[in-house]
Amino acid sequence: MSNENNRKTWKQTWSYREGTIVTAAILLLGFALQAAGGGMVLRVAAFPWNLVAGLVFLAFLIIAFILWQKNPIIKWLGGVKAALPAILGFTFLVLLMGFVKQDVEPKSTLVKLLGLTHLVKTWPFILINLYLMILLGIVTLRRLTPFSLKNAGFFLNHFGLFLVLFSTALGSSDMQRLRMNCYEDQTEWRAVDTSGKTVELPVAIKLLNFNIDEFRPKVTIIDNQSGQIVLNKGKNQFELLDRNSLDLFGYHVEVEQFLESSGKVGDAYFPVNEPGSAPSAKVKVTKDGIEISGWVCSGSYVNQPEALKLNEAHSLVMLPAEPRKFSSELDIQTKSGKQVTKTIEVNRPFKIDGWTIYQLSYNTEMGRWSNLSVLELVRDPWLPVVYFGIFLMMAGAAFLFITGKPKNGGTEHVA
Amino acid sequence: MEGLNMWLDFPIYASVAILCWLAASGLFLSSGKKLMNQMAAGFSFAGTAVLLVFIAILWMHIQRPPMRTLGETRLWYAIFLSGIGLVSYLRWKYKWIVSYSLGLAMVFLIINLQHPETYDKTLMPALQSPWFIPHVIVYIFAYAMLGASSLVALRNLFFAPTEKIVKGPIQMADNLVYLGFSFLTFGLLFGALWAKDAWGHYWTWDPKETWAFITWMFYLVYIHYRFRHPSEHKRAMTILAVSFAILLICWFGVNYLPSAQNSVHVYSE
Repeated sequence: MSNENNRKTWKQTWSYREGTIVTAAILLLGFALQAAGGGMVLRVAAFPWNLVAGLVFLAFLIIAFILWQKNPIIKWLGGVKAALPAILGFTFLVLLMGFVKQDVEPKSTLVKLLGLTHLVKTWPFILINLYLMILLGIVTLRRLTPFSLKNAGFFLNHFGLFLVLFSTALGSSDMQRLRMNCYEDQTEWRAVDTSGKTVELPVAIKLLNFNIDEFRPKVTIIDNQSGQIVLNKGKNQFELLDRNSLDLFGYHVEVEQFLESSGKVGDAYFPVNEPGSAPSAKVKVTKDGIEISGWVCSGSYVNQPEALKLNEAHSLVMLPAEPRKFSSELDIQTKSGKQVTKTIEVNRPFKIDGWTIYQLSYNTEMGRWSNLSVLELVRDPWLPVVYFGIFLMMAGAAFLFITGKPKNGGTEHVA
Repeated sequence: MEGLNMWLDFPIYASVAILCWLAASGLFLSSGKKLMNQMAAGFSFAGTAVLLVFIAILWMHIQRPPMRTLGETRLWYAIFLSGIGLVSYLRWKYKWIVSYSLGLAMVFLIINLQHPETYDKTLMPALQSPWFIPHVIVYIFAYAMLGASSLVALRNLFFAPTEKIVKGPIQMADNLVYLGFSFLTFGLLFGALWAKDAWGHYWTWDPKETWAFITWMFYLVYIHYRFRHPSEHKRAMTILAVSFAILLICWFGVNYLPSAQNSVHVYSE
């Protein structure tokens, strides 16, 4: 250690000191460039330039390694003493993202100049990513030559992460995320991108049917004065109407009749199935021997909700039902001549001609009577590379799990 | 079970578990006799089993995986942590690891007792996915492993004055970190694959994702540091202790951060 302390900076062999200086310089340069550019949002060039840049980078990395693999700087770049400060530098940026809310309007000029509200699209982030990729690339190449099965876990972890960083950075500008509003029985082929621009697609979609499957509504007790839900510490604030008798805040509620879809005629509710009809229930509520009975209804965009006044203090109300599942039956036609009818729902997207169609939302005010289904269309041509990287990392994690820590520190290169 | 609020029974199950674990810790600390140790291990296991029964009944009652609220994740954590403590003891024969991890598991149970949970049977459509259970279980298991490793770190930092006492346990800490880190990686990547199916993108820098990534990076630092400096124990243990603090921010703290107001991961409590 004393040798290290007496060594002059930049004199070989390099250590953490140089690692820290290089990482700090990269961050400072990044923030300086960002400020010089007025805090603008950066984008990587789109296809084919990102692919060209990626291939040039790979070629440069491999050639540099082959030519100078004995060079102490290349050796240092492939070691922990460069890697640790770089990881910490990257972590520093991500920590900033953890504290400063992202993708909002910057509150001060400094925040705007440094790009703190959109850090992933700034110079410091891109530069430190590039630096990490160089380190990961070199260390991967170092462990590959000579090839040894003992290094499999190491290779999977480091090359997997390299591929994920590489493909997400280069692919970010080729990715399209569009939002499409589909109304029932209408064909739509236009969608809006994240910046609000309308895009015409090679896919036309007709919404045949939008369907919501709802949970039973919940009931709760509100305070008549404030209109707020009565706090019921440690006990349920509300109960799902999935059974005929329940207890809530000392009240015993018996459900005499439950109508999934109903309308009010006179003083009572009857089964009705037309737009805007809402769930309702006839209940009998008892507390301290006093019995009250009547209807509660959650209401809808057409009908008023109905509460049941229990006494001077409290009323029983029914909350709007929550969706269990919502789905859209779509008729999809592509420019390439394909035509399919397919039902999509949340967590069950559908892929066609490089586009993935997601169920995103609907008109929540109209609830299950919504005639609007909001879809998201995503195209991400780099996804197979990202997934390949993710699977390598998973295999690497499995290696860590099976082999555990390499014995004797760095002498056995297992992971 | 009609009309029965499952969480109302929780204090009973939790008390039985805590009593079992206190007995286990007491027996482990009291003597070195083999029979006593076996009884202690039995009590430790019994406490965990009681909680497993509770979570099984809760699961059946609410008709969805009990993995949505913070209280539910704390319950899983107490189960895994006590299990990991016991397995570590059986594997490495350090009795204190059982007492330490039981102690931490009890803290989580007591937090749950102080913040009584209610149940909510509804589950938003985005969470209804085959990824839900593996994502949460793998994560909580990783958290429990890493929690146990940080207990080793704290012991080494504050209660083990000589390097000799540190050396054996530090290998156990390494093993726990390697296992925990592999699960952490799986949890992170499962989350990415799930997000692609549910939201159209595998990584959106949602605040929880950001903090999960920071946590992952800190353990990465520990692994690389240990790899390069196998004999610098004190500093390694400090890194490990700090990493766990970051993990706790990711798990609970994110809910309170202003940067996380619209996170999809801010669980209702």
